[in-house]
Order: sequence, then C-alpha cells, then structure tokens
Amino acid sequence: MKKIVLLVFIAALSFSSCEKDDICDANTPTTPRLVIDFYDINIPSSKKSVTNLKVVGAGMTDGIIFNTSGTAITKYLTSGNTISIPLKIDADATSYSFTLNSGNTNTALINLDNIKIEYTRTNVYVSRACGFKTVFTLNPINPITLTDGAVPDQKWIKYISVEKSNIDTENETHLKVFF
Amino acid sequence: MFLAQAQEKPTLETTRTQELLPLKPKQEIEKLPEAKKAVEIPPKTDRYGVRVGVDLFKLTRALYDKNYKGIEFTGDYRLTKKYYLAAEIGSENKTTDDDRLNTTAKGSYLKVGFDYNAYENWLDMENVISIGMRYGFSSFSQELNSYKIYNPNPYWVEVPALTEGQKYSGLSASWVEIVTGVKARVFNNVFMGFSFRMNVLVTNKQPSSNFENLYIPGFNRTYNGNFGAGFNYTVSYLIPIYKKKVKTETPKTPIKK
Repeated sequence: MKKIVLLVFIAALSFSSCEKDDICDANTPTTPRLVIDFYDINIPSSKKSVTNLKVVGAGMTDGIIFNTSGTAITKYLTSGNTISIPLKIDADATSYSFTLNSGNTNTALINLDNIKIEYTRTNVYVSRACGFKTVFTLNPINPITLTDGAVPDQKWIKYISVEKSNIDTENETHLKVFF
Repeated sequence: MFLAQAQEKPTLETTRTQELLPLKPKQEIEKLPEAKKAVEIPPKTDRYGVRVGVDLFKLTRALYDKNYKGIEFTGDYRLTKKYYLAAEIGSENKTTDDDRLNTTAKGSYLKVGFDYNAYENWLDMENVISIGMRYGFSSFSQELNSYKIYNPNPYWVEVPALTEGQKYSGLSASWVEIVTGVKARVFNNVFMGFSFRMNVLVTNKQPSSNFENLYIPGFNRTYNGNFGAGFNYTVSYLIPIYKKKVKTETPKTPIKK
C-alpha cells in the first residue's frame, strides 16, 4: 500500500507542475504603434518617400531601428514612405525628433524637427498569454505639436494631419505627414 | 498495479473460502470436477450504502503550494449492482501566477452524476473501476492582482507589472465531466481511489469587461475551446445500509446443496 501511495503522490505532483505558461502569439494584436505615412505637400494625394530619416525618442541616444539587417548607422535610417513608432505606455505624451538626411555629408541638408504626441491611454485585456495591451486616444485638442530643432533651419515637415485618433491597431494610418 | 494489490487483500481475509477454492479465475471454477462441486459456497451478498470521502490531492496540495487552498468531499450511493449516484462538493482558493497576469480565483462547486462500475467483482470483493458523468456547477470570484502590458516594440523602458486589485464577483460556470476512476477496498470499510476527468464547459459567466475566467473552482484551468481536465485522489468510508443477495448470473452449473 505504501508503494501505491507514493506512486499516486508522485503522479499528483507531476500533475500540479503541468501548468505550462503558454506563449503570446506574435500575430495577436497587442499594443499598437503609431503609424505615420509621408505625403508630398505639393501633391497631397501622393505618397512621398523620405530620405535617410532617423527617428529618436526624447531622452534616448539610439534611434528606432527600421532596418534590422543594416549596419550600426544604417539600421536607424529609413527611406520609405511609412513608419511605425511606439508610444510610451507609462506616460500621456511621447516626443520624437525626426531628422531628414541623417548622416549626410552635406550638413546643410540635415534637418531636425521635433514632434510631441499627446494622448490618453486605456489598458485592454488580451489573453492569459499576452496579458494586457495599451490602446491610445489622441487628445482632441492639439494632439500633435511640431517644433523646429535646436538649430533654426526651418521645419522640413510642413503639415501633419490626424487621420485616426483612436490608435488600437497598426493596420491603419494614424497620421499623415506632408513635406 | 494498484488493482492487483487491492484484490489480494480481500481474498486474504476470506481464508475460509480460500481453503476450499483454488486460486484460479472464475471460469475455471465452473469447470471443476463433479466431486468438488458439492462444496457449499456461502451465498454472495453485495453491500449497499453511502460512501463518503475526501480528496487527498487537494488537501495535501496546500502543504507544498502556498498559492493553493482547497478541499473536496466525495460521496456516492449505490443504486443498483452497477450504478452509483455520485457527487463531489468542494471549495478552492487558487492564485495563479502567469507570465503576464497574477490572478486569484475563489469559490465553491458541486458536481452531481453517476458512476457505472465496469469491474466484475467475485467473492466478496468490492472494487470499482468506473466510468461516469457529472454535471458541475461553480460559483466564484476572480481577482486580478497584477498584470503586465504586452509591448512587442520595447523601445521605451520596460514597464513593470501594474498592481490592480480589481475583484470580479458573482461569476459562475457549469460543465459536463467524463470521469474514469478506480476505487479499491483496502480494509474493512475503507476505500482508496483516484479518478481522471475531462471537462467541457456548458455555461460560463465571465467578468463583464476587460477580463475573462482563467480558473474555475472545480473545473480547473480554462483552455481555449472550453476544455478542461481534473484529477482527484480519494480515501473514502463506506457506511453500509443493507445487503442484497447476488443472483447467480450464469446458472450453467447449478450448485447442489
């Protein structure tokens, strides 16, 4: 009988340790990033690619990695017409500097603008594995503040329009930047 | 192994019968030569009564798992030779620490159903190898102790777990269980056994918003697709109420008196 008790006890123990943590599927929509599309100021319906844009968060030294296969310098640069940038999930405002022609040998072409995004946050339950996500709502009044960099070189960004103030998925464009 | 050992015990107790009968399976007893058939066999009786027990698995789990407190009482009443009315009643308080969520479920449950004993006992053995069904009902609350926000793009500093302490009360669920179990008489009226259960949720009253039922007392952890599983390990005591004589089922070789 003792043997049986021991056996069942071992079985019981192994059962209790069976509670595996499942893994959050990468395809599950979780905390979304802010999706920005770039447009031509002269032809507002036409998308326009930026050249060597570097986006750095205020207070951060490294930029957002756009190109994981790039070198130490080029991985922070993008020359596409759309970017996705993460918002702070522990504050109601996030500031970024947008540097056009970053790293260009002709320093006259390098232009830095600051963008401050203000919003409110809601934490939404996703699942056991993923926990919660944060969704954002851009402030109805002055959600975006565009300022020139420390060097007064005129803003390269001419206009920013809010396309979608509820940021809960990355499948849509939230901001349009015209330059 | 469990069964083999358990079966030996009752036979040892009935030494009187054993002296007269060789230790061979039942079929062979019937083929005994004429001379030995004349031996008087005491009439076989089945005991009917209420068996009450406690789940040792839940009881002992509190000793090694500080996040768990629980108790379950089991009971069955023998209706016929093969069928038992069966029920479990219990209470659980379990804190689950997942990667991103820390939750506590608290509540009580009741399961009612039947067991069918598929085991052919011989002599005065009273073992049970059963398959059965239960309908379970649980009333509970869930508390979200802390949570983490999943951020697939951790450019900014990783945000630590947020403490919440939000309690969701008045939750309930009901489900169907398929139970397979074993009970063996170890001595006198004391039985030991265990059972495995596969559960399917029928109803599930979830928190009104922003959360879901992650652990249901009695049902255990919830998985996608409404399925669950359970286990118990019981020690139980039979309170005999009456005895019933067993009719000879296969009167191929009638016993002479």
